[in-house]
Amino acid sequence: MSDSVAILNDTTRCTGCEKCVAACKQEYELGRDRPWRGQGAVSDLSSTRYTTIIRRPEEHYVRQQCRHCLEPACVSACLVGAMQKTPEGPVVYDAEKCMGCRYCLAVCPYGIPRYEWDRRVPYVTKCTMCIDRIRRGEVPACVDACPEEATMFGTRAELLAEAHRRIDQDPGKYQPRVFGEHEIGGTSVIYISDIPLDFLAWKPDLGTQPLPERTWAALHKVPAMMVGVGGLMAGVYWVVGRRMKLASEAAMEAEATDIAEDTQGGAAESRRG
Amino acid sequence: MNKRLLILKTTLWAFVGVLAVLTVARFVNGLGAVTNLSDAAPWGLWIGFDVMGGVALAAGGFVIAATVYIFGLERYRPFVRPAILTAFLGYIAVAVGLSYDLGVPWHIWYPARYWQYHSALFEVAACVMLYLTVLTLEFAPVVLEHPRLDKPLLRKLLATLRRVTIPLVIAGIVLSTLHQSSLGSLFLITPYRLHPLWYSPIMYVLFFISAVGLGLMMVNLESLLAAFFLGHKVHKELLSGLGLAAAAVLGSYAVLRIGDLAVRGVLTSYLTSSWQSVLFLSELAISAIIPAGLLLIRPVRSSIGGLALCSALTVLGMVMYRLDVAIVAFARPAQLAYFPSWMEFAVSLGIVATFILIFISFVENFRVYDDTGQAAGSGKPSYDPATLHALLPHRLALPRRFSLAAIAAAAVAVVFLPQEAITGVLPANTPVVASRTVDGLPVRRDGGGRKLRLIDRSDSIPQGTPFLMIDGNRNGYPVLFDHKAHEARLENDRSCGVCHHLNKPFDRNTACFECHRDMYEPVSIFNHTSHVAQLEGNAGCTQCHQQPAMEKSAETAVACAECHADLVSPLSLVEEPEERWRAAVGYMEAMHGLCVDCHETKLAEDPENLPPALDRCDTCHDADRPIELQRMAPHIVATRQSGGGE
Repeated sequence: MSDSVAILNDTTRCTGCEKCVAACKQEYELGRDRPWRGQGAVSDLSSTRYTTIIRRPEEHYVRQQCRHCLEPACVSACLVGAMQKTPEGPVVYDAEKCMGCRYCLAVCPYGIPRYEWDRRVPYVTKCTMCIDRIRRGEVPACVDACPEEATMFGTRAELLAEAHRRIDQDPGKYQPRVFGEHEIGGTSVIYISDIPLDFLAWKPDLGTQPLPERTWAALHKVPAMMVGVGGLMAGVYWVVGRRMKLASEAAMEAEATDIAEDTQGGAAESRRG
Repeated sequence: MNKRLLILKTTLWAFVGVLAVLTVARFVNGLGAVTNLSDAAPWGLWIGFDVMGGVALAAGGFVIAATVYIFGLERYRPFVRPAILTAFLGYIAVAVGLSYDLGVPWHIWYPARYWQYHSALFEVAACVMLYLTVLTLEFAPVVLEHPRLDKPLLRKLLATLRRVTIPLVIAGIVLSTLHQSSLGSLFLITPYRLHPLWYSPIMYVLFFISAVGLGLMMVNLESLLAAFFLGHKVHKELLSGLGLAAAAVLGSYAVLRIGDLAVRGVLTSYLTSSWQSVLFLSELAISAIIPAGLLLIRPVRSSIGGLALCSALTVLGMVMYRLDVAIVAFARPAQLAYFPSWMEFAVSLGIVATFILIFISFVENFRVYDDTGQAAGSGKPSYDPATLHALLPHRLALPRRFSLAAIAAAAVAVVFLPQEAITGVLPANTPVVASRTVDGLPVRRDGGGRKLRLIDRSDSIPQGTPFLMIDGNRNGYPVLFDHKAHEARLENDRSCGVCHHLNKPFDRNTACFECHRDMYEPVSIFNHTSHVAQLEGNAGCTQCHQQPAMEKSAETAVACAECHADLVSPLSLVEEPEERWRAAVGYMEAMHGLCVDCHETKLAEDPENLPPALDRCDTCHDADRPIELQRMAPHIVATRQSGGGE
């Protein structure tokens, strides 16, 4: 994954001009915001806003967008493969396959995907890191539009090195970590910042274990369970059936009294169990 | 038909009537129009109850099938057919409920097309699809043995199905084990959102065991209901046997659940006085501890009342468990609560009602129960033989009665439909930044009238006049609002109603733009004098007024855009004014679209001679700048003061 593409957001450089938002809206023809209930402000992420600027106290601006996790929860959760991690790095969505279960909305640790609740036939929307532009050899629209170089595009390895270089150069200015370097297995959109960015995720400490592994811990047992339960049931059926058969045969053999009594006792016991 | 059943059926038909109305609203106007779902609460009642609860409630099918066919406990055979029928109809109900919830319901079968074995939801979907097939085959003999279907080919099919009963039962048990547990696995991937009292790495085990316990008690409850409404025989001995088994299962579920939390240290750190703890304890008590405890007492489990109480508690508690995991204990931002709309409840109830009616109709027409009950006629005449007066409504009267119930209920539902469910989703009101007072200073404007100025903290004026800051247009951009001046201009006391009318439906205060119509309109900024000067007096007239025969007016002149090619920024969010020849975009657009872009270009061309950084946002929008410049972006100043906009 070292040559996969990524975006580095440096919040110390962001002035909150929202040119990235405007460029994104223009690129995907999103039109005016259609805020939905449960949305705190017009400027929140929505089905008409794939990226936005979160205003934090004391003039801090943090760009919110899909993190394009290296091991995305949404991709692992999608039961029809509508969410896919591309070889280039971005996580993309295919509306053709989507059945609209919204499991991806529920599982995203950063709460990114949005749903077109106001449409008769709604689909999921989210940032795609402008995968089409990347494949054409261009940079994402938001990066292109940023006048402050607060958001940069490059390979993940390159940007991680740049992020560490900036932190090392001015350790007093930055928080001493690259957000998204290791969390839940790492993300393709990484941040360096002078304020903690924990508010971008559901919980401050996400840990480093990729989320799909948690599901897999249970799901990898499925084939064994299938064989095990099936075999067990067949076995029990055979044993119980055989005991009952023996019991009825024994009952018919009235003359062989001693043996019959023993077997019947055993059969009755098994019936009770 | 007895009176109870008549009342039950009439009520169920009423729910079906409501469901019919809501079905139209749901599929015509979309999910958003009838549900309270949002991006913060993507899963609601229809997933929590219809799907997760429904699958669990239908667990009786595989539990009883295993008891009778595999473990050879033949005495429980009377429960097999009702339990299989419940499971069969239950799973169809789940599929129906799910199709209401899915955004693209006609893709419901797509999991079978795009296999994604790494998804817990795929596992559930695959198993449910297969299990529904198995259940169809398991239940088919009940239908096929109907005397009317006694055709040679069908008889052959029936014989084949009977021969494969055991493999079918085993397949059913395997599939049920897998998907009942996988419903728990669904939430393994959301450790951050599910409260620790519910989240557990062994959730799938808990879901499976609780489903077995629930399955046993569901069979119990169902038998009692069938006895109450349909007059079928109560096998009290057998029910108390099931009750004892359920006590063991429910008890081990409770022990496992608490043990798991204790071992992982969650119990000590999270069991506090929070509402989640109260919810957790009451859920565990209702679903398992109380019923298991009661069922261990012999008199309780051998009395109808005791069994009814215990089975009702278990059913309630286990559905609660599913709802807690899927909705209640699933984190949302504090201010974004989710409570289902009445339409969500009504759809869930309507689906349940529909399938209870189908269940009853199966019972009435096929041999589901061993005894005939009252379904096939209890021998009582429907009229009093002495007087010939009907004791119960005539048979033909029933369809009329049920239709009436359904139609009446549907009519009531229509009356209570909210506007959005009828018209489709309306554009949302933009959240308003609450009005507040700020210190300001009235300044005289040159042409008379008042103008407001924010007081800088460094100003030495002791106290300013408080001014209202309102988000009148509800677009998140609050402005200073001179309430006094508006009052005065609109004839004082009589003016209140102009903005605070309070009599339009769904109304708020009048938005600024409703009176200030030109607020978002393009403005005329054309300066004829300066153009004359630029184009060298009279000699330049023809550059714009090219048709000498025509009157020299703005309408006949050359459009501005002919000379000023980039009048509107390509990045502009505002539509270009159509009449570009006489108007420009609004002030903010002009600044952002024209000035900033242009400065960027010019700066790149000639960085030496131009003032630096005029293309940068914080040149204007910066709290450190002089107050006049700060006011260029009042909303930014305002949101900074109010502490962020997330």
